[in-house]
Amino acid sequence: MKFQCSTKDIAVAVGAASKVVNAHTTVPILSNVLLSTAEDGIRVRATDLELTLEHQFPAQIVEPGSVTVPAKLFSGYLGNLPPGLLELSGTPTRASVKCERSNYDFHALPPDEYPPLPSAQRGASFAIDAKRFRDGIGAVIFAASSEEARGAVLMGTMLELSGDRLTMVATDGYRLAKWETELARGLGEEGTVKYVVPSRALAEAARNLGNTETVEVSALGPAGNQLAFAAERTSIVVRLVDGQYPNYSQVIPSQFDRSLRVNTNALMASLRRAELLAGDRASMIKMSVANQELIITANSDTTGNAYEELEIEQTGDDLAIAFNARYLVEILSHVDSPQVVMEFLGPLSPAAIRPGEPVEGQQQMYVLMPLRQ
Amino acid sequence: MIAHFDIDAFYASAAQLDDPSLRGKPLVVSGSSRRAVVLTASYEARPFGVRSAMPLYQAKTRCPDLLVVPPNFQRYRELSRAVFAILETGARAVEGLSLDEAFVELESNDLDGAIAYARGVRARVRGEVGLTVSAGVATQKMVAKIASDEAKPDGLRAVAPGDEAAYLAPMPVARLWGIGPKTQARLALERIERIEQIATLSDEAAFRIFGRWGRELRELARGNDQRRVEPERETRSVSTEETFEEDLSDPAALEWIVVQAAHEVAERLAAHGLRGATIGVKLKLADFSAIVRQTTVAEPTRDGALIAAAALRCLERAELGGRAVRLAGVRVARLTEDSLEQLSLL
Repeated sequence: MKFQCSTKDIAVAVGAASKVVNAHTTVPILSNVLLSTAEDGIRVRATDLELTLEHQFPAQIVEPGSVTVPAKLFSGYLGNLPPGLLELSGTPTRASVKCERSNYDFHALPPDEYPPLPSAQRGASFAIDAKRFRDGIGAVIFAASSEEARGAVLMGTMLELSGDRLTMVATDGYRLAKWETELARGLGEEGTVKYVVPSRALAEAARNLGNTETVEVSALGPAGNQLAFAAERTSIVVRLVDGQYPNYSQVIPSQFDRSLRVNTNALMASLRRAELLAGDRASMIKMSVANQELIITANSDTTGNAYEELEIEQTGDDLAIAFNARYLVEILSHVDSPQVVMEFLGPLSPAAIRPGEPVEGQQQMYVLMPLRQ
Repeated sequence: MIAHFDIDAFYASAAQLDDPSLRGKPLVVSGSSRRAVVLTASYEARPFGVRSAMPLYQAKTRCPDLLVVPPNFQRYRELSRAVFAILETGARAVEGLSLDEAFVELESNDLDGAIAYARGVRARVRGEVGLTVSAGVATQKMVAKIASDEAKPDGLRAVAPGDEAAYLAPMPVARLWGIGPKTQARLALERIERIEQIATLSDEAAFRIFGRWGRELRELARGNDQRRVEPERETRSVSTEETFEEDLSDPAALEWIVVQAAHEVAERLAAHGLRGATIGVKLKLADFSAIVRQTTVAEPTRDGALIAAAALRCLERAELGGRAVRLAGVRVARLTEDSLEQLSLL
């Protein structure tokens, strides 16, 4: 194969793909990216067998074909090239790059050993506004578990499709994030469809697909056990998590009996200060709600005492409740709204956190379990 | 004075205590899978050559009438609690080493008082709990532990103040803390076999053979062990480890051991009223190199299943690839009080 392209285009494409490569893989070819000629450019593909990312960039094709190159090495090299043009010619064992007065040969592995793309057989599909999709991913995936010990299902994010609506849910069992929106195009099928997607695949999707208009999402494979996200020049295919997602609607109380409304930044700043003194006690802060005031306290034998007072709009009875400040701060940092509403049932029941001024067309909420003292 | 107590064949004795039909019979506590390993062998099984950490199939070959009982860590915790409660009376500090082993710093400073305390504990444990516990009494930890090992089973051995060096002198060097097979091999080359030969080394020779810790080791050999009994409140981690009679290379057997160890640690956390967030696995390989892998879970836990799952992940990350292991253990650290609990949604 042989082609010419801009150094910037290829650097961006290889850089994006190389993020998917597993640095600890024991299969040599999986350390490489695959470059293949297409009609109007080059496709760069990387995979760790769970997640596959393909990115296309414009190029002048001289001779069709493909080549595989070590991802980290090649992306490091491309990142250090000046703006301009380069020419790459590939054989099964070598990729040679000419750029201005530099000539590099990279050892390659035969492209026919590269894992084939997952089945192209498409099933159900839907489309979503790309910016909205990116916002939703940002709002929920942090709440997924990062502990392999707790299983792959909780490490995933659930996408639930029902008519024209998409609901995304992530939980690690202690906190839960839920985000809902209208789709640009629904499934066009009756009933509800659920996919559990590895959260890191959604992180890649948000990073790579967010700058376009719409993202097309379709189920792949005869069993529909893969999901493809595609927008313009990029597509991501991910193997879905096999397993039953917890019935999240059961753990979210249908109504609360007291609530408070408070300035988001003020609350977050108070919690961050108080948490400093609660470090060695599970980051426990106590919240006491009474007389239109929120009092936050924390203390430990080794560090001292913290006391914070905030003005709030209180509705319903008084309340004393304890939380892990880290969880609460992390949730608040994803609430993009000047005011935040917290709703409660009691000191040992789940609390809900919602933006005080919801974004039109989106519903965002978090549920956090308190600490028992 | 310091006393060391060790419940005799704890898991096996617990089974015999609860089921009289098992008494006087060779039995092991182990799993039911083909890959299971002996956790504890009853004294009746030991004459057949059955030892802890031995693959179960091998134990059955050595002792065809062997009875196999599954472990019951919850029950061990109950019994352990009862024994530890007895130790507390008359103790200045108690340092639990595992469910069945503890050091006690005594209020009494004379030998007779210490012996009376140890006798009292042994009698009460037998009478109130129904188990036998062996005891060693000495002025310091290492000698007390060696003495209780010597007293096993169901015995008491006391070493009078001033007699420590003489007591240790004729023993093989391997009895000293910190001397593993590697150092032993080194010592064999130097023709050092008994503890007294270490006790009489010059500064220079001690440094040449053992390096920086030579002097400390020589002091141990002379019967000068300065370590204090560390009571529970200073607990920073809870762990358990086991050295195998024969190196273990079967991954499934090793996984099984790690799961059992995780459950034991979970019960000890519960017994101490603690939860821990950092879960780790410690392995020593046949070539004496050590591997430690650990992971931190989001919320401090004492859930045996979660500790086991995390420990198995650590084991996987150790990438043993079938290499033989001579010691395996599970440790939980970053402890917090049990009373503070992050409630769960699911």
